[in-house]
Amino acid sequence: MNHIPHNHACGNTEHGVSRRQMLGTLGGAVGFGSLLQPGIAAEIKKQHKQVCLIWLDGGMSQYESWHPLPESKFGGPFRSIKTSIPGVHFSELVPETAKIAHKISVIRTMETKDPNHSTGVPRIQRGDPIDRGVIYPHLGSAVAKLLGPANPNLPPYLWIKPGNGGFIAKEAGFLGAQYGTLALGDGKPPIHIHRPDGVSAEVEAARNALRLKANERFKAYRGASEIDAYETSYAMARQLMARKEIFDDSKMDPKDKERYGTHPLGRHILQARRLLEAGVRFIKVNSYHWDTHGDNFNMSQRLIPQLDRPFAALINDLEDRGMLDHTLVIVMSEFGRTPIINSRLGRDHWPDCWSIALAGCGIKRGAIIGETTKDGAFVNGEGYDIGHLFHTIFTLLGLNPRKTRYRIKGQKLAIAHDDCEPIKEVMQ
Amino acid sequence: MNTPVLDVKKAWVSRELKHDRQLFRAQFSPDGRFIAAGGQDKLVHVWELDGEKKKTFNSHKTWVSSLVFHPKAKRLFTADYLGVIHCWNHEAGGGPQWTIPTADQDNVRALIVTPDGRFLISGGDDAIVKVWNADNGKPVGSLEGHKECIFSLAISPDGKHLVSGDLYGSVRQWGIGSWKFERELDAKILHTRLDNFIADVGGVRSLAFNKDSKLLAVGGMKEAKSNAFCPGKPTVLIFDWATGKQKTELRIKGKSDGPFNAMCFLEDGTLTGHTEILHSDSELTFWETDAPEPLHSIKNGSAYDLSLHPDGRQLLVTTYVSGGSSGNGARKRHREQYTPNSTNLKIFSLFSKPAAKKAGC
Repeated sequence: MNHIPHNHACGNTEHGVSRRQMLGTLGGAVGFGSLLQPGIAAEIKKQHKQVCLIWLDGGMSQYESWHPLPESKFGGPFRSIKTSIPGVHFSELVPETAKIAHKISVIRTMETKDPNHSTGVPRIQRGDPIDRGVIYPHLGSAVAKLLGPANPNLPPYLWIKPGNGGFIAKEAGFLGAQYGTLALGDGKPPIHIHRPDGVSAEVEAARNALRLKANERFKAYRGASEIDAYETSYAMARQLMARKEIFDDSKMDPKDKERYGTHPLGRHILQARRLLEAGVRFIKVNSYHWDTHGDNFNMSQRLIPQLDRPFAALINDLEDRGMLDHTLVIVMSEFGRTPIINSRLGRDHWPDCWSIALAGCGIKRGAIIGETTKDGAFVNGEGYDIGHLFHTIFTLLGLNPRKTRYRIKGQKLAIAHDDCEPIKEVMQ
Repeated sequence: MNTPVLDVKKAWVSRELKHDRQLFRAQFSPDGRFIAAGGQDKLVHVWELDGEKKKTFNSHKTWVSSLVFHPKAKRLFTADYLGVIHCWNHEAGGGPQWTIPTADQDNVRALIVTPDGRFLISGGDDAIVKVWNADNGKPVGSLEGHKECIFSLAISPDGKHLVSGDLYGSVRQWGIGSWKFERELDAKILHTRLDNFIADVGGVRSLAFNKDSKLLAVGGMKEAKSNAFCPGKPTVLIFDWATGKQKTELRIKGKSDGPFNAMCFLEDGTLTGHTEILHSDSELTFWETDAPEPLHSIKNGSAYDLSLHPDGRQLLVTTYVSGGSSGNGARKRHREQYTPNSTNLKIFSLFSKPAAKKAGC
């Protein structure tokens, strides 16, 4: 038997899990108990680390947010305002975050490789590991696999997004469908979450038992992936059925609605807070249409405040509830936006030097990381690739990315890029 | 010298003034001797056209968003994204003669002066049309009613009416002097907010009266497809000024995807306008306003402003010039060549190009 190299690692062959083993746990703690030794599981449970990834799809301009540089030749027209960190300025489009800058960190020297959405989004969300011919999981699925659910009665990975919801198996990559995410369209629970009045709890339980039995029988002779996805989504839906109060708007403080904003991103970040409070391990909140190739300055003026207020409110609320120390909040995109302003007064894709914001769970408070050229266009020295960020995230979550390994078809796979390291400057 | 015959189909570029940064507004002075321009470098640039002497005025702390000459006095008004308006003597030079420090909470997007020179009028992000004494910058009145930011202003040539256009496609008419609201024209087609958008797109980006005040042209774009690229169909709506009803919807021939930022009527009633397009060539377009199809168009880069010289034969087009580094990164390998885009202030002569004199003649 292999030695477990780190107390939070799951590289041991004993910790590999078959679909059948996994299915045995569905409806409860998805896969958690079968992955780790009880002592380790207890340790991780104690740590109760959670993650909220706020994903601004398309790419937010660093010049109109975390790194304004209005005096430079590439700066925009907006004011640069003081933050709560002496000497540090943000754009006037993020006034609420400027007030809580001492609670967060900003990395201004992200230097990634991919300037395209179609390849950049999965590359960034998978951490761009060394290509070993397999499809890596997105961060949320990776965390769901590596840490399991924080609350055994809730799904480990939920995704709040505009538009339709549904179970998204492909986020899990080689981990298999059971580590996919349940997307909550517009932050709402799956439809039919409420048991109809005409169906008693006993009838519902009998129906479920019959369904499970039929699935087992079907699966015995066929490939199980689609059934896994179905089973997982069904189990997640049942878990949420039992916690429908999390989605009950009437139980929400009207002041919270006001503080977070009534626009989709505000409502969705507030819903994310409620799910974090309930104990969901990883929540991704997506906002689309940040790809401001056209009319960047009019659009930034309208878009970025939609992030500013609810992000600042979330950080304050997590801190007030004593949750910030164990909840990692990340605001990022697939890249930033070009310093050069194009013919439509837009900014294009810019992976060369861009900014992200982080808070909680061992992230330094009030740290502004990285040195750029005076005009903000390029990194001075070495920038941070997404692999560095994944090492940082996993380390903050109590994992050792140097030693923790996935096992897939007998192959041990690193959970983050082999050549990268955690960004120590941003860690407490 | 006889005034050449206006013929837009024979228009040609007779002069170019190049600037190393993006300029958003450029106008001829009423006496035709100067061009003033402003944009991304925060400076106000004034070229004297006879000899190309140039002055630079430095007081704005951010991008210059709008400018207009006084019709009679030697005054130039410039405004910026921080709500500041400066008044300059563009001939004498020096610092601002006076300043309005907070003409708007944020961006002053449009400036105009009444034909009699008494009032300077501004519109911008706070959705309030503001009237100022054009001699000293003292406030005269605030015209409220718009629900979103104001992009454009125009005054009827008879000097009696002001129109202001906003993001939602509302064109509001006000009495000059009374400063009373008179009516609203519906250009809502120029605003788009689809269910999946997270911001409003478009708006009334430009307004122009014809010379006898019978027509009002309202420019922008319709049917935006997203709030990210903000691509739409460049559109001009022609309103019958007497009835307030839309008469014609003008189109372009080419493939521009941005709004009409500027338009002006020529003395023969031809309307000209210019749009933007992403990473390609747009066009300078001319219409006879009773037909939707253009009379003529000239391929040109994206442009943000137009100004007709007082001689009626020269059109100034504030044209974007790509420096070759536009588009998506990564550019690390070319970082030394990574420079901002620039501007070519093109003067189109709207008549047949004179034949070149033969050598020795």
